Amino acid sequence: MTTIIVNGAKREVQAPTDTPLLYVLRNDLELSGPQFGCGLAQCGACSVLLNGTEVRSCITPLAAVADKEITTLEGLPARWAKQKGLSDKEAGETLHPVQEAWIEEQTPLCGFCQNGMMIKATELLERVASPTVEQIKQAFTSGVSPHLCRCGSYTAIIQAVQRAATAMTKGVTHDRA
Amino acid sequence: MIAHEKPIADKATDIFGASLSRRGFVKTGGALLVGFGLVNADAMQNVGGAVSGNTLNPALPESWIEIHADNTVLIRVGKPDFGQGTVYTAYRQIAAEELRVPFEAITTVVSGDTDRTPDGSGAFDFLQGGMPNIRKAGAYVYQALLDLASRQLGVPKDQLSVNNGIVSGGGKSVSYGNLVKNQKLNLTIPVKGDVNSMFGLTVDGNPPLKPVSDYTVVGKSYPNSITVSKVTAKETWVTDLRVPGMLHARIVHPKTLGSKLVSVGPLDKTRFPNTQVVVKGNLVGVVAPTEWEAIKAVQQVASATKWSDWKGLPGDGRLFQFLKEDADWKAAPAATSKTSKGDVRSALAASAKKLSATYQLPFLKHAPIGPTMAVADVRSDGSVYIYTHTQNPQALRTGIAYMLKTSVGNVVVRNLAGPGHYGRSNGGNAGAEDEAVILSQAVGKPVRVQWMRQDDFQWSTQSPAAYSDVQIGVDEKGNLSSYQIDHYMPAMQDDRLVGAVLAGLPTIPGPDEKGSIFGIANSMHDPWIYDGTPTVLERAYGTFQIGHKSSPLGVGLRDHSMRTPGQFQQNFPRELAITEAAVLAAVDPLQFRIQHAREKRAIAVLESVRDASGWQTRSERSSDNSGVRRGQGIAAMFRSGTYWACVAHISVNVASGTIKVEKMTVAVDPGIVVNPAQLKRQIEGGSVMGVSMALLEELSFDESGVVANDWKSYPIATMSDLPEINVILINRPEVGKYGQGSEAANALAAPAIAGAFLDATGKVARRLPLKPDYVQSLLRA
Repeated sequence: MTTIIVNGAKREVQAPTDTPLLYVLRNDLELSGPQFGCGLAQCGACSVLLNGTEVRSCITPLAAVADKEITTLEGLPARWAKQKGLSDKEAGETLHPVQEAWIEEQTPLCGFCQNGMMIKATELLERVASPTVEQIKQAFTSGVSPHLCRCGSYTAIIQAVQRAATAMTKGVTHDRA
Repeated sequence: MIAHEKPIADKATDIFGASLSRRGFVKTGGALLVGFGLVNADAMQNVGGAVSGNTLNPALPESWIEIHADNTVLIRVGKPDFGQGTVYTAYRQIAAEELRVPFEAITTVVSGDTDRTPDGSGAFDFLQGGMPNIRKAGAYVYQALLDLASRQLGVPKDQLSVNNGIVSGGGKSVSYGNLVKNQKLNLTIPVKGDVNSMFGLTVDGNPPLKPVSDYTVVGKSYPNSITVSKVTAKETWVTDLRVPGMLHARIVHPKTLGSKLVSVGPLDKTRFPNTQVVVKGNLVGVVAPTEWEAIKAVQQVASATKWSDWKGLPGDGRLFQFLKEDADWKAAPAATSKTSKGDVRSALAASAKKLSATYQLPFLKHAPIGPTMAVADVRSDGSVYIYTHTQNPQALRTGIAYMLKTSVGNVVVRNLAGPGHYGRSNGGNAGAEDEAVILSQAVGKPVRVQWMRQDDFQWSTQSPAAYSDVQIGVDEKGNLSSYQIDHYMPAMQDDRLVGAVLAGLPTIPGPDEKGSIFGIANSMHDPWIYDGTPTVLERAYGTFQIGHKSSPLGVGLRDHSMRTPGQFQQNFPRELAITEAAVLAAVDPLQFRIQHAREKRAIAVLESVRDASGWQTRSERSSDNSGVRRGQGIAAMFRSGTYWACVAHISVNVASGTIKVEKMTVAVDPGIVVNPAQLKRQIEGGSVMGVSMALLEELSFDESGVVANDWKSYPIATMSDLPEINVILINRPEVGKYGQGSEAANALAAPAIAGAFLDATGKVARRLPLKPDYVQSLLRA
């Protein structure tokens, strides 16, 4: 039995501790944001945030994440709500600005890689409020491997990151009264 | 029932060749449903001899379009969405336009399920030469609704008008919802074709279409309705599907593309007590209760499984020598283009300047970001359910039925969202479906087969390698006097189910075999656009897939159409050769193209891309001789009703041999632009794929099989390779048709980049990809 904290909730997992986190999330916890792309940490389709850092869940064994905080695509709205101190009601109606931007910019083509792209964007924007295009390119091509999109949506991703950056630096627009 | 309604006659009413009838009355709801009646049904031919059977009975409510009593509309289309967004945007827009309802009234789109969609065919040629089925189906329904309204309002049809789903005339009005309320109306429309074939059914007849000048919905940038669920992790991707009792499987694919099974490695039952090994012919599957157990167990089994050796491929180092010297190009008749004309030989002999050259393109992979996977459930009653992500569910259904020697009526293919794979499954098979079926049948439970990254690189089909020989003559005035091109490419449409081939089960014929749809003949895929050339000869030669005949498995390097299939292989040599001819003629390459084009739309895209890209019109090449040289290049193409022109601006680092594409400018005239924002995104994406193909992609293979097995051995473009991309859309309502928009952008980059390389360096790169070592060797030469 391994305890992990996923999207703010403690979860007890029975899977063998050498199981890659990806399969635990997808099969045991039914969190299907992260996708299987290569199993080799070469594409980024499986990315999640581990204590705020983007990692490839396909090569991260369950044992390595015991008691650590994992955020998946499903958890981005709540992560944003917590950071902004939104009420539960507001949080339930809110998407993460990264997700909003991805919709506004109509970023996905097939969309299979976009989980990792949004996770990477969230990591970046939590560290650099208003990244330049060069900083965005650097973020998406450095680390364990570049984040790959075969449909070629990189232009739309950059535009969406910039849109999300604007929204996040402006803060939420909800009436908090 | 509404009191003043005049009843529809008991016999069906003729609606421009469609048939409207009432099947009865209902107390609540009500709907107008569109089914189909087959034209010339006797002429139907089934691929591979599968049993005939239509997906939907026109008497049942599964149909093309449903008009509901609450004024909502449902549409059903056989073509699955593959990231183009077409079925969720353009199809809704086109249907809404013909029906005269708001875009938002179409609340449900059902696509790609064999039991729930009417027309079949695949995720290609979405706009079907400007006449997608949904357009004509919508036009028939509109006429039927007018007919109903005329009866109900007592006003002649020609005095009725419709706005936002409300029919008005003679001072009276009625909504579509009220027209169908409490009734079960059935409209049967004429169709032709075979739902089970690769191309599916086509709606027949000529219902009056809404005049393009009256369009209000087409031309606007509606968002793709599936984007929200994908971005919020609410979409059920095919990868997410879990069926009760489902087991996880992995495949031990043969050691080479010609290896037969010698012995299966023993399974360590102490480590994997609940795992089973299934062997059928040369297909070895490992089925386990959990995914991780399946992965570990397959590694253990594979490590001790023995295969025969096979070395029947030329290897990538000898590829073009093999194609030139060993391949049999007389095995199929050569195709000559309809635009060939005049005596090229005499014209060439009389030309002031001549070019003779060979151009080479490597094998490419479709390389989806997710490896293929599928879930199959072969039930004890003989029914088969397949959950997958295929571009052509009906063709897959036919192939599976044929493999199992069962009726297509026993097979259901459900299509879910998945990773795009750019043509690889447009003949039905994405790769894992047949293996899932075979394993599910063997273990008696639903089975999920997921290929690993290595399986996907080494056991999927590839886009075929090709080469072309060009001879060009330029006269003293600087005009093309003769143009001859001979294209050579192995067969590119192998839709056999590879798991069935390995298992020794029946498949549809391979591309050289009796009854195959496409055979091995090549055809002219790249329409000529330089009509001012006096003599032209374009020929296309085909041959067998490499290794297909010699592989003991009958496999070899299987090929499959990939984005802009065949045309990419033919347009690169043509467009680079035209640039070289311009250099010979000492004319600016873009101006040279305008000079030889006659179609005004072709000229307009060239002028448009020239003006938007900052093209410098000059007859001499770039004078830049620095360590990082810059150049400009141009390419043009006509495909499926759409004119394209692309300018690439690149830099070449002379020391390292690296090319950086700095800017791509693409001008596109598809006729009617249906959805500008979606089209722009598609073109941006295709342009990136084109840069990737031009600079990076080349399949490595040895004498036994594909060597590439991951993203390091088959690199594709990353965000750091991204150029600035500018897209210019030219909307031409007067054309009256929607040309194919998105598919072709990938083909433009390579010839434009190679043209820019010639401009920057004076060297001609006639082989793709333009990798640093090749670039350096050209610069040294």
